[in-house]
This record gives sequence, structure tokens and C-alpha cells, in this order.
Amino acid sequence: MYGWIWRHLPGNVWVRALISLLLVLAVIYVLFQYVFPWAEPLLPFNDVTVDNQ
Amino acid sequence: MRVVVRTVSELCITVGSLIVLFVVYVLFWTGVRANGAMDHQIDVLKDQWAKQTAHPAATVAPGASAGPRRPAPYVGGRPFAIMYIPRLGFTWNKPVLEDTAVSTLKKGLGHYANTAQLGQEGNFAVAGHRRTYGDPFVDFPKLRPGDAVVLTDGTTWFTYRIDKGPYKTVPTDVEVIDPVPRKSGYTREGRYLTLTTCDPEWGHSHRLIVWAHLDSTQPVEAGKPEALRR
Repeated sequence: MYGWIWRHLPGNVWVRALISLLLVLAVIYVLFQYVFPWAEPLLPFNDVTVDNQ
Repeated sequence: MRVVVRTVSELCITVGSLIVLFVVYVLFWTGVRANGAMDHQIDVLKDQWAKQTAHPAATVAPGASAGPRRPAPYVGGRPFAIMYIPRLGFTWNKPVLEDTAVSTLKKGLGHYANTAQLGQEGNFAVAGHRRTYGDPFVDFPKLRPGDAVVLTDGTTWFTYRIDKGPYKTVPTDVEVIDPVPRKSGYTREGRYLTLTTCDPEWGHSHRLIVWAHLDSTQPVEAGKPEALRR
């Protein structure tokens, strides 16, 4: 999977490394901004009230 | 065969990294975000109060000076007070917002919408995170009878004194936020305060409760109440 991505990136090793880094950062951004905020309420840490459990 | 092994290993690494990132998010990032959000809510409140002082309400109904005046209805998801609990740290102060929605509790403590207003007859009940989102109530079990819980709505300081707690109960025990809470030891109507959070620290099987009664009030012009002076 990662090898396939690496082979399909353009440019020499340095350009590919830079693009990979940007891709990784983009994935982390999407995770922190959208995916984790959605997943976190499914965990029990939000249950602090006595009425709506 | 080689492709299969490689793909499976890559998947495992990906899932592992995801879990580590998620733990970082829950333990660290929610706190960063919540501290920013709580500071913002406190700024909003202080701005609002500064404006009120600049343009005080023109007409004060006669006789309104007897006891704390009735505050305007709170707006869901909006801050209306700041809470100070010296036992949780001298600098510990959190905004109190109306309602206990998940999104509200990310920005501060949440006031149970169907309970009494601050300083009024009845039970002023507030919920807060024990862990994650800035850990506001992480030291909740350290609270002891006699501890002060001080709140201000911009015009009045309310000093509550804890009478009982931390009391451990189950999540369905809604009677702990009744006007005269069950198990609190209170026998008649009064101006009470209830704080709730989760227990154990990272779990949700139980709730921790403390109860307090309104001990004293003073206008903000009179300076900080005794409990907040060092």
C-alpha cells in the first residue's frame, strides 16, 4: 500500500519525501478535525450527568 | 504470499498509528481545545459584564434588593457564571454554561437546564468532565464538607459551602439533582448546589456528587468573598 503510493509519487527521492510528509500531515489534520471529534463522544468520558446518561 | 504479508503488516502499522493518534487526541488535544474554549467563554462573560456595568439597567423594581434578584432566563449553550473552587486550586475557575449537551460540556461546566437558577430557591445543579476536555473536575474526590464553591454572575458573589460528598451513585439516580436532593441530608427547601461528574476517572459506570448550601452572597462591588482571599 505504502510502496504503491511511493511509486506513484512524482519527482526524485526528496520531492517524494516532501510530498509524503505533506500527505501524512493532511491525514492527521483530517483525523483531528473531523474523524476524532466524531468518534470521541462514543467513548464514556462524556457521561458526567445523571439524567441523560 | 509476500504481498499478503506486506499488506497485513502495513495495515497493522496503520491501525497502531491511528490508535496512538487517537489517544494523543483524547488525552492532550481535547484539553488544549477545551482550555482555549473555556478561556474564551470567560472572556465573553467578562466583556458582557463590563458592558452591563457601563450601562446599568435603568429601572430596578422597588423591593428587588431583598435577597438576590431573579436573573434573566439562561440561554442554552451560553455562559452565565464563573465558578471558583479554592480546594481544586487557587487559580481554578471555569465558566458555567446553560444545559448539559455534549457540545456545551466541551466549553465549560454545564448547568442542568431544568434545575434552579444561581442563588435561587431550589437546587442549582452543575455537571463537569472528570477527564478529557481540560479535566475540570479531575480532583473532585478531594472535595470535603466545609469547602467553598464560589460563583459569580457578574453582579453578585454566591458562596456555597459543601455539606456532603463526594457521594457515589449510579447514572440513573436523577433524584440527586432534585430541589431537595435525596440522600443529601437536607430535609427542607433551600438554596442548594449540586455538582456531578463521572466515576471512575475514565469510566462511566458511576457518578460522583457533592451537595452544598448557599452560605452567603455579596455584591461584586463589595470585593471578593472571604473564601477567595488568600
